Amino acid sequence: MTLEIKELTGGYGQVSVLKKETFTVEDGQVVGLIGLNGAGKSTTIKHIIGLLTPRGGQILIDGMSLHDNVEAYRKKIAYVPEMPILYPELTLKEHIEMTIMAYGLDREETWKNANKLLKTFRLDNKLDWFPQNFSKGMKQKVMIVCAFMTDARLFIIDEPFTGLDPLAVNDLLNIVEAKKQAGCSVLMSTHILSTVQDHADKFVLINHGQVRADGTLDQLKDKFDMKDANLDDIYIKMSNEDL
Amino acid sequence: MKKLWKDRLRRHQINQFKYLRLIFNDNFVLAFIVLIGALGFWYSNFLGTIRHELLLGKPAVILILLLVTQIGKIATLLEEPDSTFLLVKEKEFYQYFKSAFNYSIMLPVVAIVVVSFLLSPFAFTGAGLSILDICLIAIGLVFFKLAFLNGEMFKMYGREQVSGLNLKLILNILLIVTLIVSVYWFSWASLLIGLIVFVSMQIKNKQICESGQLQWQQAIADENQRMFRVKRFYNLFTDVPGVNSKIKRRKWLDFLFNPIKPVQNNTYLYLFARGFVRNNEYIGLFMRLTIIQAIMLALIDNFYISLIVEMLFIYLVGFQLKPYFKDVMLNMMQRLYPVSGSDKINDFTKLSVLVLCVQWIISAIAIAYKFGISVNSLIIIVAGLAVLLFVGYFYMPRQLKKYLDNGVY
Repeated sequence: MTLEIKELTGGYGQVSVLKKETFTVEDGQVVGLIGLNGAGKSTTIKHIIGLLTPRGGQILIDGMSLHDNVEAYRKKIAYVPEMPILYPELTLKEHIEMTIMAYGLDREETWKNANKLLKTFRLDNKLDWFPQNFSKGMKQKVMIVCAFMTDARLFIIDEPFTGLDPLAVNDLLNIVEAKKQAGCSVLMSTHILSTVQDHADKFVLINHGQVRADGTLDQLKDKFDMKDANLDDIYIKMSNEDL
Repeated sequence: MKKLWKDRLRRHQINQFKYLRLIFNDNFVLAFIVLIGALGFWYSNFLGTIRHELLLGKPAVILILLLVTQIGKIATLLEEPDSTFLLVKEKEFYQYFKSAFNYSIMLPVVAIVVVSFLLSPFAFTGAGLSILDICLIAIGLVFFKLAFLNGEMFKMYGREQVSGLNLKLILNILLIVTLIVSVYWFSWASLLIGLIVFVSMQIKNKQICESGQLQWQQAIADENQRMFRVKRFYNLFTDVPGVNSKIKRRKWLDFLFNPIKPVQNNTYLYLFARGFVRNNEYIGLFMRLTIIQAIMLALIDNFYISLIVEMLFIYLVGFQLKPYFKDVMLNMMQRLYPVSGSDKINDFTKLSVLVLCVQWIISAIAIAYKFGISVNSLIIIVAGLAVLLFVGYFYMPRQLKKYLDNGVY
């Protein structure tokens, strides 16, 4: 699965947040999307999943755009939003059922996956709970379970590490690794640089709606001319360029 | 603190006026006047039939006065962030609550005066009370209400218990006893006891509040609850943003969902059916309108009025279900599902038709009860079915499609 973003321009209403953004996520790659608050990370993600319509440029998944085939395009993506969004009227179990129906998945097979995930996140005894009884972290886990039990090929995670307990962060990283081994791609935006530095293959640094630099950590070090730097140092250097 | 209260109050009042203006639109005012007129007519007719004191006259007066005294709470206008941002000002909040207390007196006093006034002719003929009695009791009730409001203020400071008993409960028991004594024997009792209770609480107000600690969480939760009730009332007439409805599990109704097969194009039926049954807003709306309709049909004798009621109410339920579809469509995750818009519309239409069918059957039973098996009842029932089919298969799909086409869904 490859995701190509070519010269993407877009934003909310008349304001262009993104200006000619270009980057790719290759097969079996975990890519970290990094930038300050308001740099355009979430806006980029909203364009990819099709909640916003680009004003210019192209977004292709395996060479196919949203307009070519809406349903096939959406089937390839699973998304975990920054703020959990659940149906207040459905129990945890029903959220899983509904996702299975919506994506037309095989019930037995998917439930097997889901049960494994539920156990990992210690939700397996809360199947009959309503979202209003969950804490924020638990809601986020529900979103993760619903996303990762599908057979999507591209997983998009917005700020996955805030609000999760350390154990859950670790579990999530293991799941991401497993998906990567299975040939899926993962795009995650985050501020927790130390974590993403160890677990992503490639980084896309966004500033003011533009890709400032992208590549592996070594490539970034070269670009910023910082030999012994870690991601933190590079990030701060990029932020200081504005001043 | 006074300034904070004044600012909040102004904002609150502007908000209230906004809703009141929406409620009192032309149609509603017309309906309201007719309703008031009808009620007034019925009341005066009813009074005309009373020749001597009724057996239940005194208990009825006591019950009505007891209920009217429960109206109104302290409007503190506290907001969620207060417990973080204004925590340091805790001591000064006493002054704020005093202002809130003074403002909150108005509504209940008006309610007590108006109800007592309207009740007086009945109390005079039906319960054998003199005008002086009624005035004394009403003034006593005002004092009691002030005592209740004091009690609420104590509660905010965590002092609602008096030697292990809930203060509100004590006050209510005292109020009932006082009302019984003053209605049956001695009307001055209400004024005297009310005054004593009120003065004793008023004097100690500051001391009691300062001995306790402000219960931020509780006070904010109470205020939210109060605002929710007010907004829900407005919501009966107009759309109010931010009224989140209550969800109940209702596990015993799960059997209703069994016929829904877990296949992709039923995805939304799965959701809509559960939401409808569990969300009090929608099931409540359906129940209210269906029950009112059934009662009206079972009572009204006139063929034409029954015909209109049957058709109008089925249309109304269908019409009022539409916002539910919009609510669900606002959920961002559902937009990402690989499910087509026409499936969403089909699923919602299925639910609507089902709901309207239940309503139609209940109304048909009510009609058969009133008109028997006759041509008239058949005409009404068939007219209801026609509206059902029109709403379900013509009006609803078109409206939903228009909504989906206009959005980015």
